[in-house]
Amino acid sequence: MTTFSRRNFLSAGILSSAVFLMDGCSLFGITTPIETLGVMHKDLFPKAQSLGIQTAPYMSLVFNHPRISKADKEFLKNGVKWLNEEAVKEYKSAYTKLARKDRERVLASISKTEWGESFIYDVMSYMFEAMLGDPIYGGNNKEAGWQWLAFTGGEPRPKEPYL
Amino acid sequence: MARIYGRRATSKGAVLIMVDVCIIGSGAGAAPIAYELSNAGFKVVVLEKGKNYTEEDFNKDELAVCRRDMFTPNLEDEFHIINERQKDGTFKRYDGREYNWSFWNGSMVGGSSNLMSGYFHRLKPNDFKLKSIYGEIAGANVEDWPISYEDLEPYYTKVEQVVGVSGKVVEHKFQEPRSTSNFLYPELQTNGAVKWYDKACEALGYDVMPTPRAILSGDALSRKGCFYSNFCGSYGCASGAKGSARAALLQKCKAKIVTDAFVYKLESDGKGVTKAHYKTNLGVPHVIEAKIFVLAAQAIESSRLLLNSKNKFFPNGLANSSGQVGKNLIFSAGGSGSGRFVFEKLTQEQQSELMQVGVFFNRSLQDWYEYEKNGKKYKGGTIDFLFEHQNIIPRVMKEVYDENGELLWGDALAKKVHKRIMTSRVLTFEVFNDWLPTDNCFVSVDEEAKDKYGMPVGVINLYGHPQDLKVGEYLAQKAVKVLEKMGCGEIDYSISASPPPNLVAGGCRFGDNPKTSVLDKNCKAHDVENLYVSDASFMPTGGSVPYTWSIYANSFRVADKIIASLQGV
Repeated sequence: MTTFSRRNFLSAGILSSAVFLMDGCSLFGITTPIETLGVMHKDLFPKAQSLGIQTAPYMSLVFNHPRISKADKEFLKNGVKWLNEEAVKEYKSAYTKLARKDRERVLASISKTEWGESFIYDVMSYMFEAMLGDPIYGGNNKEAGWQWLAFTGGEPRPKEPYL
Repeated sequence: MARIYGRRATSKGAVLIMVDVCIIGSGAGAAPIAYELSNAGFKVVVLEKGKNYTEEDFNKDELAVCRRDMFTPNLEDEFHIINERQKDGTFKRYDGREYNWSFWNGSMVGGSSNLMSGYFHRLKPNDFKLKSIYGEIAGANVEDWPISYEDLEPYYTKVEQVVGVSGKVVEHKFQEPRSTSNFLYPELQTNGAVKWYDKACEALGYDVMPTPRAILSGDALSRKGCFYSNFCGSYGCASGAKGSARAALLQKCKAKIVTDAFVYKLESDGKGVTKAHYKTNLGVPHVIEAKIFVLAAQAIESSRLLLNSKNKFFPNGLANSSGQVGKNLIFSAGGSGSGRFVFEKLTQEQQSELMQVGVFFNRSLQDWYEYEKNGKKYKGGTIDFLFEHQNIIPRVMKEVYDENGELLWGDALAKKVHKRIMTSRVLTFEVFNDWLPTDNCFVSVDEEAKDKYGMPVGVINLYGHPQDLKVGEYLAQKAVKVLEKMGCGEIDYSISASPPPNLVAGGCRFGDNPKTSVLDKNCKAHDVENLYVSDASFMPTGGSVPYTWSIYANSFRVADKIIASLQGV
């Protein structure tokens, strides 16, 4: 199916590009948006995983969608960097390498900041798009997200994704 | 297309098409003219910037339609500058691209009527003479219309019958005069909770009024009846029941529709428009000649095109000797509110009724279309009641904050989302009242910012008159009483001067005086012998209802005037 080949191709783009993490003035380490966002999705809404829905791969569509502004994509990428740098500052570790309870503390800490609140909100917004959008976009596996909320998608359903 | 159109190549290689009537835009202001003129045997071409869709193309893809805005231009390519007036009288400038502030509605054949909810109300007789009835209002440019309700009534009826409006006439204090006793098409099916509303209104002494809808309740007019698919507003209609300009009119006439045609300039000599110049997405130029040009590109864009078409004959913009082009831009004032029904307060039977989806709520209040307060008579408005839109993603995202305004996530969020979606439902209301025309709300064009076609973008100068808020507040409080009586909790509302982009009018007001209006009473430009403007631009005041029915009706009226003109009557 063309959707998936396109998705696989795109996943090699921004999502897998290096994000350099600084500790003060020195380089601490490197992460990728897909690595961080994948962990974030599990932390923010583990219910999706328990329903058999993988939401992180959808982020490749987000980063490559012509209808999502460059500024919004840049903000997501910066958020990944700032989230990890907050983790480095507090725990001397990248967010993705932290234990669950420490990741929770980092999320709680950044949610009190203006950028952090916006970042978490945006990440959740795209995560729910994956979980509750039409299954043709690759998330919402077998309509599990809809079934969880007894929601019936509108008819007719799309025959192809809008990319 | 069965019709034959004259064609020749210009010296610059662009194809020149010659027709009787060239219409710019294809929405509710354009389609009645295309329909009537082509049915009368005239050669008509419709120029539409967007694509052409049919019922087969439409689906209910929330991500594509509502999250990625597939039916409106990409703001990176086409945008507006918005100047919002501040309390100190200065304007704050917003670039639509940076702030993701879009005033586009539906760039497609049929325009935004494809995506409307189809809440159809007629104006009332007093809406045509606001100044005479209610007097002048300080800081507002209220004017009577040059035509009366009686002039438009036959065309409202025509829209009911040709576009298709379903409903049921009930007598109430502000029921407008009708030439027919009832709607031709019966009411749509409604949700079981509607009877709670009716009971609450009866207890409060309010008149129960079914909302007329531009949606066919059964097969008619060679179109399918409503599928009750649960998603209507914001989406294209896959059944054809919704009375979009495309489904109801353009698909049924022989007017030639040219898509991917952005008209960037109307060429004119001292008397009339001679050519419409348009470009495709790829920048390929084309030219059309016509005897009559009709502009209906949506209020903001119509003013923009006239201002961008200035030349030595019209140095301030085409048809703008009055300086009124773009002026007195109006929106629908008011706002919205909501209340929530929770299962804990309902019987099992009521819970089942509440959760019925697909069917409509369809109730309105017009008890305060005019009201008195402190001995003064005010023009009021309309309140429509409807269930919260069924789009699931915004309903879930509404739950990501706790009662203290802190972000929620994890199991706590999952628990909250599940309970709220599964055991409660939100009833909303929308308030429509007059957005008073003022000197501070108008369209201009920017001196620097240009769109992808290389044309100066429209500037929307925004200002809401304080009375708009007072009237909106008065109406919202009435709506709140209904929600309270029905047993809703979490009742809240917001009345603001925030402009709804899908309810915009004015900018080329019609009137008898060429010095104070752009169009004459037939919507022909005072300055130009062959240019009509037939979208919502003509309205000096907008009434206290959604505009679409009035736009359709007026466009049918203008069509008759154009036919008479072409026939030399």
